Amino acid sequence: MPAWLAAPPTVAFALAAGVVVAACLDAAVGDVVAHRVPRWSSVVRPWRQAAVVALQRRTSSERPDRQAWALAPALLLGLAAVMLTVVPLAPGVAVADVPHGIVLYGAAAATVLIPAFLQGWSPNSALAMIGGYRMFAQGLSSMIPFALVLIAAALPAQSLAVGEIVASQQGLWNVVRTPLGLPVYLATVPALAFWGPLATPAGRDLAGGIDLEAAGAQLLTWRVAQAGVLVGMSAVGASVFLGGWAGPLLPGPVWVVLKTVALLAALVAMSHLVARVRIERFVVLAWVGLLPLALLDVFLTGWWLL
Amino acid sequence: MVVAVSTSWVVDMAFAVFGMAAVLTGYRVFRTDSMVRASFWLLASFVNVGLILVLLNARFLGFSVVLMMAGEMSVMAIFMVMLMMNPAGLNPMTMVHQHRTSLAAGLLAFLALASVGVLVDFPDDPARVEPATVTAELGAEELGDSMLVFQTAGATLLATMIGSIAVTSRRGRYGDAEQGSVPPPLRPEADPADGEGAA
Repeated sequence: MPAWLAAPPTVAFALAAGVVVAACLDAAVGDVVAHRVPRWSSVVRPWRQAAVVALQRRTSSERPDRQAWALAPALLLGLAAVMLTVVPLAPGVAVADVPHGIVLYGAAAATVLIPAFLQGWSPNSALAMIGGYRMFAQGLSSMIPFALVLIAAALPAQSLAVGEIVASQQGLWNVVRTPLGLPVYLATVPALAFWGPLATPAGRDLAGGIDLEAAGAQLLTWRVAQAGVLVGMSAVGASVFLGGWAGPLLPGPVWVVLKTVALLAALVAMSHLVARVRIERFVVLAWVGLLPLALLDVFLTGWWLL
Repeated sequence: MVVAVSTSWVVDMAFAVFGMAAVLTGYRVFRTDSMVRASFWLLASFVNVGLILVLLNARFLGFSVVLMMAGEMSVMAIFMVMLMMNPAGLNPMTMVHQHRTSLAAGLLAFLALASVGVLVDFPDDPARVEPATVTAELGAEELGDSMLVFQTAGATLLATMIGSIAVTSRRGRYGDAEQGSVPPPLRPEADPADGEGAA
């Protein structure tokens, strides 16, 4: 089978597997946090919840923008797939082994704002729309530190290819070499993936925000796509900061999967352990705290390289 | 993607698709009735232009166009909604004005660009394989000796942006905006709320 024909099913499988793992982790961590012993039934719970959402009757609001509303989950799912294409499983083995993979990933991560805003804007509903505006506020505030720590991680490799960035970490992982990178990355990913403490666009204070008017298959696709974005961001984070395929004993691709799951577990645990942040506070934190930290990360890495 | 780019008829077809999509979505910008939709149609047009750049082996520029435009169109959408007093861009409004002038300007621009496309003898020199060289050569070709000037202007613009955000922040130099911040009076005994210092 030619490579370009094998790429779509490979990415679809990785995305689906990642979303299932994220859902199971979410159920298990939720049990642990609630002082319940995780059982096998916890693994079934996400499927049941998904079935409940899928079987919901599709609702509609007054004069929605139906095309944009239908586009939003599909676009988000596509962006999650694009994020996964740049992740290398072994030297030279990636769906899109392009020389500027990290820029492609950054473009996909920045575009996440658009479907998230559309999901809130298209239903023509006030609270949902406020959720969309919140997405713009937190997304635009966290995008610059997010991009800066990725650039700082690419500096030692002297390349924007994700494979080269992983290869440059064979001696020392970026999590040690650029110590500010991973913490800032993990602080900005929830904002861009509107997840956990920064799920403010879909906040309870907005009666569900961007999810308020969505139901049925649209909502299910939306949730799956959001988990997919989280998986994509974990996978790229594992490659850029945790050394990708590097590791003893086990083969490289297994290490990529293990590290991705580890980051995914951290992000999932964050949603159960960290309280929701008020959007006003986060915007201040992003501009006053995260942006200078990310700049410091770039300067320190440059200094270290000199 | 890397495989597809190497075969020329695939590139030609992809160029046709992206080019037509860029023109059509660009046309939709002016035919839609909402500023938010107009922003996102424009974004779609720019994404197609970015994909054409990728086909031209300038991948860094192509991806960067998508990266920048996603953020830029988001900002444009909220700013237009804020400034046009059209709640959330939901009230239908026309995207075109000054019909005759814009028609003439559009036709003139089209004819000028089309004549350049038809009349100029373009070099038949396929782009080299290394995209890194393409980006570097394009930058040197466009900016050349002015590179330092442009870099300095970029840093100055960044400082201006951070400064304007600091000036407009809620916790400004005259106190918290929600507490009704007012500039201090010019005379020490005067009441800040009325007098020369008040806005």
